[in-house]
Amino acid sequence: MAGHFFIISIILYIVGALFALCFYTWQKAGNFISLVFAAIAASFSIATAITMLSHGSRIHLDFQLLHPIITYDFLLDPLSSFFVLAISVVSFIASLYSLGYTRLYVNKRDTRFLGFTYNLFLLSMLLVVTANNAFVFMIVWELMALVSFFLVIFEHENPAARKAGFVYIVMAHIGSGLLAVAFFIMLSYAGSFGFDDFRNVASQVPATYKNIVFFLILIGFGIKAGIFPLHLWLPMAHPAAPSNVSMVMSGVMIKTAVYGFVRFYFEFLTPCPPWWGGIILIVGASSAILGILYALMERDIKTLLAYSSVENMGIILIGIGLAMIFKSYGFVSLSSLAMIAGLYHLINHAVFKCLLFGCAGNIYYSTHTRNIEELGGLIKRLRVTAPVFLVGALSISALPPLNGFMSEWLIFQSLLNGFNIPSVLIKIETMICGAVVALTGALVATCFIKAFGVSFLALPRSDHAQKAKEVPVVMYVSMGFLAMLCVCMGIFPAKIMMIINRVNTHLLGTNIMPAITSYDWLQTKSIHTNFTGLSPKSTTVLGIILLVVTFAILTIIRPGFARKSYETWTCGITPGTRLEYTATAFTRPFKTIFSSLYRPKVEVSSEYSVPHYFVKSVTYLGEITPIFEKYLYTPISNFVLNSSERVRWVHTGNIHLYLAYIFVTLLILILFFQ
Amino acid sequence: MSLASNIILPMLQIVVIAGLAPLVKGFINKIEARLQCRRGPSIFQLYYNLVKLLQKDAVVSETASWIFRATPYVTFVSILIITLLVPVLSSHVPVNFAGDVILIIYLFALGRFFLVLSSLDTGSAFGGMGGSREMMVSAMAEPAMMLSIFTVSLAAGSTNLGNITSTMLNTSIILLNPALFLAFAALAIVIIAETGRIPIDNPYTHLELTMIHEGMILEFSGRYFALIEWASCMKLLLLLTILVNTFLPWGVAPGLTFSGLILSFAVYLVKIGFFAILIVILEMSFAKIRLFRIPNLLGTAFVLSLLAIISHYMVS
Repeated sequence: MAGHFFIISIILYIVGALFALCFYTWQKAGNFISLVFAAIAASFSIATAITMLSHGSRIHLDFQLLHPIITYDFLLDPLSSFFVLAISVVSFIASLYSLGYTRLYVNKRDTRFLGFTYNLFLLSMLLVVTANNAFVFMIVWELMALVSFFLVIFEHENPAARKAGFVYIVMAHIGSGLLAVAFFIMLSYAGSFGFDDFRNVASQVPATYKNIVFFLILIGFGIKAGIFPLHLWLPMAHPAAPSNVSMVMSGVMIKTAVYGFVRFYFEFLTPCPPWWGGIILIVGASSAILGILYALMERDIKTLLAYSSVENMGIILIGIGLAMIFKSYGFVSLSSLAMIAGLYHLINHAVFKCLLFGCAGNIYYSTHTRNIEELGGLIKRLRVTAPVFLVGALSISALPPLNGFMSEWLIFQSLLNGFNIPSVLIKIETMICGAVVALTGALVATCFIKAFGVSFLALPRSDHAQKAKEVPVVMYVSMGFLAMLCVCMGIFPAKIMMIINRVNTHLLGTNIMPAITSYDWLQTKSIHTNFTGLSPKSTTVLGIILLVVTFAILTIIRPGFARKSYETWTCGITPGTRLEYTATAFTRPFKTIFSSLYRPKVEVSSEYSVPHYFVKSVTYLGEITPIFEKYLYTPISNFVLNSSERVRWVHTGNIHLYLAYIFVTLLILILFFQ
Repeated sequence: MSLASNIILPMLQIVVIAGLAPLVKGFINKIEARLQCRRGPSIFQLYYNLVKLLQKDAVVSETASWIFRATPYVTFVSILIITLLVPVLSSHVPVNFAGDVILIIYLFALGRFFLVLSSLDTGSAFGGMGGSREMMVSAMAEPAMMLSIFTVSLAAGSTNLGNITSTMLNTSIILLNPALFLAFAALAIVIIAETGRIPIDNPYTHLELTMIHEGMILEFSGRYFALIEWASCMKLLLLLTILVNTFLPWGVAPGLTFSGLILSFAVYLVKIGFFAILIVILEMSFAKIRLFRIPNLLGTAFVLSLLAIISHYMVS
C-alpha cells in the first residue's frame, strides 16, 4: 500500500514536471497544473510516510530499468520515512504557496523551466532519503544538486545570483567527490554498492579506514548541511533562489545531509568511538554560535534566515553528536533521548524556517525589497502575514509554548544527562555546549526581534513599505497552516516524539517512550534523573486561565477602560521615520562586543557646504569582514587559480597532442595495473 | 495531596509573590534613601502607584500596533505562570509537573521578547535604545545563568525547582560544596543584571541616554504601565526567591501544615529582607558601570559558573 503511494507520488512529480514543459503559450495554466501535481504528489508521499511510521515496517522497492547494470534499489524504513514526512510536508505547503508566489514570474519569465526544475527538485529529495544503493544515491544526490543549482540561478540576470550559483555548484561537487571516495572505500569492504552490504560489513572495516570515512562523510555531507566553515554557499544561494524554492532548500534540502550523517554514523560505521561524537558536538556548537552571530548583523532578511539555518543545523548536530557519544558508551536509552531532541529540532526547523522564508517571500512580494532597513509599519499593511511571522519568530527563538522551545528543552535535558559519560573531557564539553545553546538562544531572540520589529513595527521607512498590500490569500493561508503546526507541535510534543521514537526503535533498538512520557501526551519526563517534568499543555492551560482572571480583575477595578491615541514622545520633535531605531543600530552593541570576530570597518565622510561650518551630508559606510572568506576561501581559490595558470602550457589546443596525452596515460595505466 | 491544597497553595503563592513584590521594592528604595540621608518615599509607595495607575485610562502611541497592547498582558501572565512553578513557602509545588527551571528562564525571555518588540513599536529612538541594550545584557547573562542552574540541577538530580528545594532541604552541607557556592555567586551576579539594578542599570534614572529597562517602557501608561511595573517587581522577588529557596532552603516547609507555612513565611521574609539589604549595600557602594564593561562582569559570572560545573564533576 505504502509502496504504491510512493510510486504514485514519484510518477506525479515526473508528470508535473513534464506538464510544466508542455505549455508554451499558456504558461499560467502550465505553472498551475505542475504545482497542483506537486502538491498532490506531496500528499501521496505524506500518506506513505504516515503509513510506514505507524507500522514501523520497511519496504524494498526495486525498479528493473537497465537491470543487469544497475539496480535502482530504494528502501523505505522508519528513518527514511521520517525524512520523507518532513520533506513532503514542506513540499506540500511550498507547492501551495508557490501558486501565489509564482505570479511574480508568470508572463515575465519562462515559468516552464521553473515548474520543471521545481518538481524534479522535490522528487530528487525524496529519492535521496530512500536510495538504498550508493550508486543510485550518487545519481539522485547529483540530480538534487543540479536542479537546485538551476533554481538558484533562476534570476540569472542578477550577477549575485550567478555568483551564488557558481559557488554552490563548486562546493556541492567537492562534497559529492568526497562522498564518492567514502563510498569506494566502503565498496572495497562490502563488495557491492548496496547499502544492505554496507550495513553488514560495519564491524569489519579497520579503524583507520573508518576514521577516514568519518571525516570524508563529515565534510561531504557537512558542505550540504552548511556547517561552519563549509557554510559559504548557503547564505549566498538561499537568498538568490525564488522564495518558494528557498523555503524548500532551507527547510528540508539541507536536512538530507543530516539523513546522511545518521545513516552512516548509526548504521554503516558502528560502533563508533566517542571522539567522533565529540567532534560533531564541537562542529554543531560552533555552527550554532557563529551562524547566529552572522545572522545578527544581516540586513537582508533572506540572508539573515539563511545564516539562521546554519545556526539551527548546528543545534540539530548537537543532538546527533550527543546521541553518538551516548551510543558509543553504551547508554542506548540516553542516545535515543538525544536523537529525539535532534530530530525533533530538525522537523521543527523544517516547519518554522519554511514559514519564515514564506513570510520573507510575502514581504518581497508586496514591497519588492529584502532590505529590512527599508521596511517598517508592515503590521498595519500585511495584517495576516505579521502575526504568522511573529509565530515563526517566537518558535525559532525557542519561546514557550511553541515548538522551538520543546526541542530546545529536550536538547538541554540530553546535555544535562551528559553527567553519565565517563570521560571528564566530554562531560565538560557537553556543559559548554549547554552554555553555547543558551547564548545562541538569546542571540536568536535578539536577531528575530530585529527582523520582526524593524520590518513590521513602527512607521514605514520607504515608499515600498508605505504602499505594501497584503499578498494573495493562498500565500498567507499556507503560512498560517504552518503557524498552527508550530503551536500544535509545541503544545502536544508527545505525538512527534512518538514518531521519532519509531525511528529510534528501528535504529537503536530501544523504546524509551514509556520512560519519558507518563500520560499519553500530558507530560514529558527526562530519564536518569529523579524527576524532571514538563507539560506544555498544562502550562498553556494555566496561562490562559491566568490571562482570563487577570483580565477579569482589571475590568472590575476599572470597568470603562479606554485608550487614547497620541503621538509618540520624542522630546518635542514631530515623530518621524528618521527617529526610529534601525536594524544596524539595534544590533550595534553586539557588533562592539564581538568586534574581534566581526572586525567592523566604518567609514564616515562628511560633505560641507561653502562656509565650512555647515555639514551638507554625511555618508556612513559600515561593513563587517567576512573572515572565513578572507582567510580561508580566498587563499584556497588563489592557490587553485595559480596552479592552473602554471599547468596551462600543456593545453596547446592541438588535438593531436591531446590524443598523444590519452595514449601515454593509457600506456602508464596498463604498465601499472596489468 | 488533597484537592484543596492543590488549589489553595497556588493561590497562596500568587498572593504572596504578587502582594509582597511592591513591598520589597519599596523596602529597597526606603533603606537606600535613608542611607543616603534622605527621607525617601513611603515603603508602600509602589502600592499607591499601582492602585492609581490601575484606575486610569491609557494613552497609546499612534504608531503602535496590537503588539504594544498585548505586551503588558503577555509579560504579566508569563510572570504569574512562573510564580506557580517556584517553591515559595513549601517545597511542595502543586504544578511541579508542569514546568521546570528551563521553562522559567524561557518564560522570562518570552516577556522580554514582547517588551523589546513594543519598545520598537512606538517608533521612538529611546525605546529602541533601551530594547537593544536589554537584549545585550540578557544575552550576555544567559550562559552564566544556564550553567549555574545546570550545576544545581546536577547536584539535585532534577531541573524542577520543587524537587531541587526538597533535595537541598535533605542535604546538610550546602554551601560547603564548592560547586554550589560558585554557582550561587554566578547566579547572584546574573540576577543583578536581569533585574536591572546598579551596577548594570540604574532603576532610578530617567535620563534618556542611560536608561535600559526604563527606556524600553517609556511609552506605557495607565493600566499597561501598572502591569509592567508590577511584573518587574515580581521578577525581582521571584529571582530572589529562586536564589534563597534553592541555595538556602532552610525554613521552607516540607509539607503543608498551617503552622509550618506560618513559620516558613517568617523565615522567608527574613531571608528576602536580608538579600534586599544586600542589594541596597551593593547599590550604595558602586556606581553604574559603563555599558561596554557589562560583558566583563557577566563574563566573570560565566567563568564562575563554568568553574562550578567543573568542580561539581571533580568533587562527585
